[in-house]
Amino acid sequence: MKKILLVDDEANICFIYSEELRDEGYSVISASNGEEGLRRFEDENPDLVILDIHMPDMNGIDVLRRMKTQNPAIPVILSSAFPEFKQDLGAWASDEYVVKSSNLQQLKDAVHRQLD
Amino acid sequence: MPELRKDPVLGRWIIISKERSKRPTDFLVEKFKVSGGFCPLCPGNEDKTPREVLSYPHNYSSADTPKDWQIRVVPNKFPALVIEGDLNKEGEGLYDKMNGIGAHEVIIESPRHEDDFAHLSPEDMALVFWAYKCRIEDLSKDLRFQYVMVFKNHGRAAGASLEHPHSQLIALPVLPRLIVSEIEGGLSYYNYKERCIFCDIVKQEIKNEIRVVCQNDDFITITPFAPKTPFEMWVLPKRHSSSFRGESDRSMNSLAQIFSESLQRLDSCIPNVPYNFVLHTQPLRSDKLEYFHWHFEIVPKLTSIAGFEWGSGFYINPMPPEEAAAFLRESL
Repeated sequence: MKKILLVDDEANICFIYSEELRDEGYSVISASNGEEGLRRFEDENPDLVILDIHMPDMNGIDVLRRMKTQNPAIPVILSSAFPEFKQDLGAWASDEYVVKSSNLQQLKDAVHRQLD
Repeated sequence: MPELRKDPVLGRWIIISKERSKRPTDFLVEKFKVSGGFCPLCPGNEDKTPREVLSYPHNYSSADTPKDWQIRVVPNKFPALVIEGDLNKEGEGLYDKMNGIGAHEVIIESPRHEDDFAHLSPEDMALVFWAYKCRIEDLSKDLRFQYVMVFKNHGRAAGASLEHPHSQLIALPVLPRLIVSEIEGGLSYYNYKERCIFCDIVKQEIKNEIRVVCQNDDFITITPFAPKTPFEMWVLPKRHSSSFRGESDRSMNSLAQIFSESLQRLDSCIPNVPYNFVLHTQPLRSDKLEYFHWHFEIVPKLTSIAGFEWGSGFYINPMPPEEAAAFLRESL
């Protein structure tokens, strides 16, 4: 079973995304901030990361660049409520950028594109 | 006493605040920290960018296997405007709108992450200008576009999000209001005096010397009479030319020499200064204009824009351009 690491400081988002992705047949682990996300990235060796940008301790784009330095082969989907972060060229290190929405289809499509 | 100065092209008023004489050290700025980590613009990570539209020394034909490139131009991975589709212009009552069509590209100025544009060799900088020229030429073939805006954000405060040296261009289906105002200002002066206002500015500044930063046979850098910000500089060709894309390769070399010197003088005055530069050139669909002169405006990010500036369109500048030019001339 493919393992997805979900890094987001909003517990509700983590819960909803986890439920939906488990229903799609993936195993999901989560982290509530950038530091924890980097730790779990190293320890758990996930198949894919879904990464929030606006987090209190560490900007998701900085987390992304550190993850890609560590292992560029693991796909990372940036997931943010703010489309304006697309203008940050650091976001180019990601494999997909999905704007958060109540409809999770776009996110699920991005996950399938990267993993299937 | 403060002084109100009128920009002769735009007719815009600027307040030059002279009460407290400032020195470059009053504008000390924080260094643009290199955050490190994976860089999508570095060699080896070409798969993280969209397929290039131009590279050097390899050409389009080898775009799939880029090697040892000096410069690359790639479409923006997450563009502000999209290239596919029709404009579909329509009105909604008195309001006009159209689809967000445009080309948004990133010019990767060097393969070296730690390079600084100001300190590129004139040869490498000339390549960047050559790339601007090539891309404007190519995008001009798309009849949906009216203008190509080339700009650079340097430093976090100026809007740069990645340290790797790069600039950007956006091809637009409409003319930016500022360019229209400059052209109208130039035309108004031309109708009155039958001369290009920019040519007259160049001649007067060469004669007066007081606002000249540096010059060579082909180009001059000045601090304009009514600058928006401290240490603002304009780089202009000395002979009349309205179109940047009409310039020769030799001209790009000469431009790079003066541009490089201008930025190095600025960096020497105020180390690590964040800045933007923008190319002002004639619209894609215009024939040569007798009353407009292409130029670059280099605008250091040293002051903030607040309510008064937004409300009035005025800018308050605490550094008279004559003093800024003197500091810049003495800086190297």
